[in-house]
Amino acid sequence: MSLGARISAELRGDRAIWAIVLILSLFSVLAVYSSTGTLAYRVNGGNTESYLFKHALIIVGGLLFTYMSYLLHYMRFNRWAPYLVLFSIPMLTYTVFFGADINDARRWIEVPFIGITFQTSDFAKLALITYIARMISARQDYIKDFNSTFVPIIVPVLLICGLIAPADLSTAILLFITSLIMMFIGRVDTRYILLLLFLGVVVFSFLVTIGRFFPDFVRVDTWTSRVSDFVESPEGGYQIQQAKIAIANGNIFGLGPGNSIQRNFLPSPYADFIYAIICEEYGIFGGFAIILLYLFLFFRVTRLITKSPKAFGAMLVMGLSVSLILQAFTNIAVSLHLVPVTGITLPLVSMGGTSVLFTCISFGMILSVSKYIESLE
Amino acid sequence: MQVKNEVLSRVYVLLFGVILPMAAVLFYRTVDIAVIQGEKWRERGKDLYIAPRPVEAERGNIMARDGSLLATSIPYFDIYMDPNSTGMSEADFLKNLDTLSHCIATYVDNNFTPGGFREFILQKRVEGARYVPIKRKATYLQKKQIEEFPLFNLGQMRGGFIARKLSERVRPFGLLALRTVGYVRDGRKIGLEGSFDEILGGQPGQQFMLRVDPQQDIWIPTEDLLEIEPESGSDIVTTIDINIQDVTERALMRALNAHGADWGTAIVMEVKTGAIAAIANLRRLDTEGGPGYYEAYNDAIASATEPGSTFKLATMMALMEDGFVQLEDTIPIFKGRTEFYKLPLEDSNPLSFKIDSTSIRNVFAMSSNVGMATLIDRHYGTKTIRNKNKGPEFFIDKLKQFNLHLPSNIEIEGEAPPFIKEANSREDGWSGTTLPWMAMGYELLLTPLQILNFFNAVANDGKMMKPYLVQEIQQLGETQRVFKPTVVKRNIASAQTIDRARELLLEVVENEWGTANKLRTSAYKFAGKTGTSQINYQRTTNKNRVGGYQASFAGYFPADAPKYSCIVVINNPRQRGFYGAEVAGPVFREIADFCMKSRLEFRPLLDTLTIASASVKLPDGVIGEQTDVRKILKQLDVKTYGNPGTEFLVTEVRNDSLLLERRSVPGDVVPSVVGMGLRDALFILENRGLRVEVEGSGKVVLQSVKAGTPVRGQTVRLTLG
Repeated sequence: MSLGARISAELRGDRAIWAIVLILSLFSVLAVYSSTGTLAYRVNGGNTESYLFKHALIIVGGLLFTYMSYLLHYMRFNRWAPYLVLFSIPMLTYTVFFGADINDARRWIEVPFIGITFQTSDFAKLALITYIARMISARQDYIKDFNSTFVPIIVPVLLICGLIAPADLSTAILLFITSLIMMFIGRVDTRYILLLLFLGVVVFSFLVTIGRFFPDFVRVDTWTSRVSDFVESPEGGYQIQQAKIAIANGNIFGLGPGNSIQRNFLPSPYADFIYAIICEEYGIFGGFAIILLYLFLFFRVTRLITKSPKAFGAMLVMGLSVSLILQAFTNIAVSLHLVPVTGITLPLVSMGGTSVLFTCISFGMILSVSKYIESLE
Repeated sequence: MQVKNEVLSRVYVLLFGVILPMAAVLFYRTVDIAVIQGEKWRERGKDLYIAPRPVEAERGNIMARDGSLLATSIPYFDIYMDPNSTGMSEADFLKNLDTLSHCIATYVDNNFTPGGFREFILQKRVEGARYVPIKRKATYLQKKQIEEFPLFNLGQMRGGFIARKLSERVRPFGLLALRTVGYVRDGRKIGLEGSFDEILGGQPGQQFMLRVDPQQDIWIPTEDLLEIEPESGSDIVTTIDINIQDVTERALMRALNAHGADWGTAIVMEVKTGAIAAIANLRRLDTEGGPGYYEAYNDAIASATEPGSTFKLATMMALMEDGFVQLEDTIPIFKGRTEFYKLPLEDSNPLSFKIDSTSIRNVFAMSSNVGMATLIDRHYGTKTIRNKNKGPEFFIDKLKQFNLHLPSNIEIEGEAPPFIKEANSREDGWSGTTLPWMAMGYELLLTPLQILNFFNAVANDGKMMKPYLVQEIQQLGETQRVFKPTVVKRNIASAQTIDRARELLLEVVENEWGTANKLRTSAYKFAGKTGTSQINYQRTTNKNRVGGYQASFAGYFPADAPKYSCIVVINNPRQRGFYGAEVAGPVFREIADFCMKSRLEFRPLLDTLTIASASVKLPDGVIGEQTDVRKILKQLDVKTYGNPGTEFLVTEVRNDSLLLERRSVPGDVVPSVVGMGLRDALFILENRGLRVEVEGSGKVVLQSVKAGTPVRGQTVRLTLG
């Protein structure tokens, strides 16, 4: 058996989604490589090669995680979900108070003995989405019931989002919106959804109040300055202007791989503003390709939902894909000066340690569902 | 199934109601920025511009033969602040501003009060300035200190700290060989700096720089974006001997001052190799600091003048080479007066006026113009069988045999080529008087170096070397290239001619009638020829000549086994004599004295027995620099004990060994340096900012400022003995 056939036999499930994962990974490596390919970063005796190497290693590791979570039967996630949520609440609490302070935000904790820091919200996000999918699918028959269905869902949502928000508001908001969308898709009563929205606003106001007294815990200052930057300067702040120059430099066909000029001006061109760099090097078509890949993911997931015999699988892929797309679109919207600066990464494309791994796990879970559906056909 | 349909319909609502419109907005916005508004943003991108800019490489050193630095580059830093650096947060800025202002007002710029600087930087930040000068010409240590100030310690991105490394060319020995060391400035390439510019300059690197102000073309270095590391230039090791150079320069300076001359030059060359051990050029200039002598023009290499009587060596060698004269021949000198084509010719030596005729030896020694001119006219003036019917051309051929028509081709630019007239050439202005006047060094042009090179060849048994100034190129102390001595011509004349020429040159000093007889010393023998040539004689309108003289002396020492050749030329001395022997000769003697005294190999070896008996007496109360003293004592196998931790120590005799004791030197008062060697005394005194004048040689026996006097930059005169 040839290697290609062997791989293809191994990788069951939706091949199109597999392709999306691989293409995004490729984009990611290319974006990093294009920087190291230039003379500009030849400093520190091959430091850039180590960047590239490290990033490629993370991508390969991530794909391995994808594969591993794909191998698991997705119903296991269903069983684990309550425990994962239960585990993530103390973990997030710990992060808020004792997490590693990186760039003035406590989002990371260090794994004991291994020494790797990871962003706990990434873990909690997966846990919560799986949990909501489980609750909605398990209670489909009495989905409109307040006490037995709604309360068990909204308590973890408010708790987890509320714990993420102090250090990472944008992630919390995106996760909150994802939860609302999942509940909408899962036929939860619209009144309840509006109630949850209202409760979310209440929690947020509460956090802002706390932030007045404990600015170290809640980054209210950052939020206000970013929002006011966005509202007050019609052309955007320094970073945004640089991103716009990058996109304009790319024009229609781009400057070509490795020819980015603006990466020298953008503070973190391989995370927050990678979309601008892709546009600069590959033109608007490069940008379109990225957007289309995520759109295509959603189409494929919709197709899965139509075929899925079980509600949990459908809800899970829906939740995960909505989360990914919201993240992607938010990241892009920042570069395009449509929303304030957030710090949300472009899933799988941006360079950045452990969040890539969790993104890969999300894809693996989606693929695991698709594998099951395929096996039914 | 109904449930599933409802779920699906909600998914479609999400897809068409939210996801697709969002994607559409993203699409549109991308096109909007990239294409529709593209021109505007691209234009703005041009203002903010990053480009590779050259980074100057570290320039190599120019060293004396012993490694002393004649020219070196000292780095310094211009420090700027970027109050709008991309990574600087409002919080960091405000949190650190007060401390930073305090630090700057206290340690960097006293013109500011902390509050004043705070206001200033706040203002600059509001204005959007990116490049505010903080300190110019900071040393490395100052830069280190400023870098640690709060805010600055966050680096360039977050803290706005910018340091630009620049360098300054310094010459630790000041005037010494300044012109020969040269400079590169405004496209002018002078001296060794100029000739070896590429080797010294290295390869410039490239750094990405950010243009923050297109109008004023201000660029700031981007952090860590060094594209190409600059390659430091190589060092060049010259043949200059710093001690000989020092003595040469000082002796010349003294003579120029004493005689009020226009300019003077002195060169010392190693006979066997052609290596230039010293080259001094001093010219009187009226500068802002008042008139004085400066290394301003390389007269040694660039000024071709009529050499005068030093050229008589060539004349005499031509006559001898052609077998026209023997040393003992007697020739007429007509009481020092004759004429050629009605042009009168006189000897300048009054001795001649009593003599009708004398030997060749004496004619040369007393430098008789009449004698030389008559000889040359007799043997080359007309075409005879003896000169193969060539006449003057036969003489010119001899000069060419001596290589006198060719430049020395020393490494540095600007050598004036020699000018020797072609026989009977109207173009060159040949006339009936040309030949007799050439005999005494007129109607031809040679630079001091070219004459010296000729004398050097005579001293070197007829082997002419190429004079050179650079013996080695080094990179970080590793030899890259060695320049070996070059033989230009193996024999410029027959061995017999050379021997006799050297006999004649010795005659000038040793002969009672010799022009340099007064310069002779019993310590060693030297040989040479004086020269006193008239300058500006052409401008004569009546009998009174407006021009002055050029005094010179060229020769070598020691006469029997020449080690160095040397020429001293002093142009237009105005007072206290003008003869070569009295103006240039003493400079030559001073240089020769120093070389003969300081060179170990010139001293006759002491008998080993004498050493044994001399060793009985150990040095008591000798003061010296710790490592030096220890080295010497170890070499002599003297037992020592005691370990004073001080830089200087004093010895005390204890039986058959020496006790080394502490000798501390207080910093704020003039210390006693009596008993010390000159080097240690200079080190101690000059380190305290004192000026030192030295007299005599040996150890310090007297110092003009008493020990214990507070240091106020006085001049201390040391008497050595």
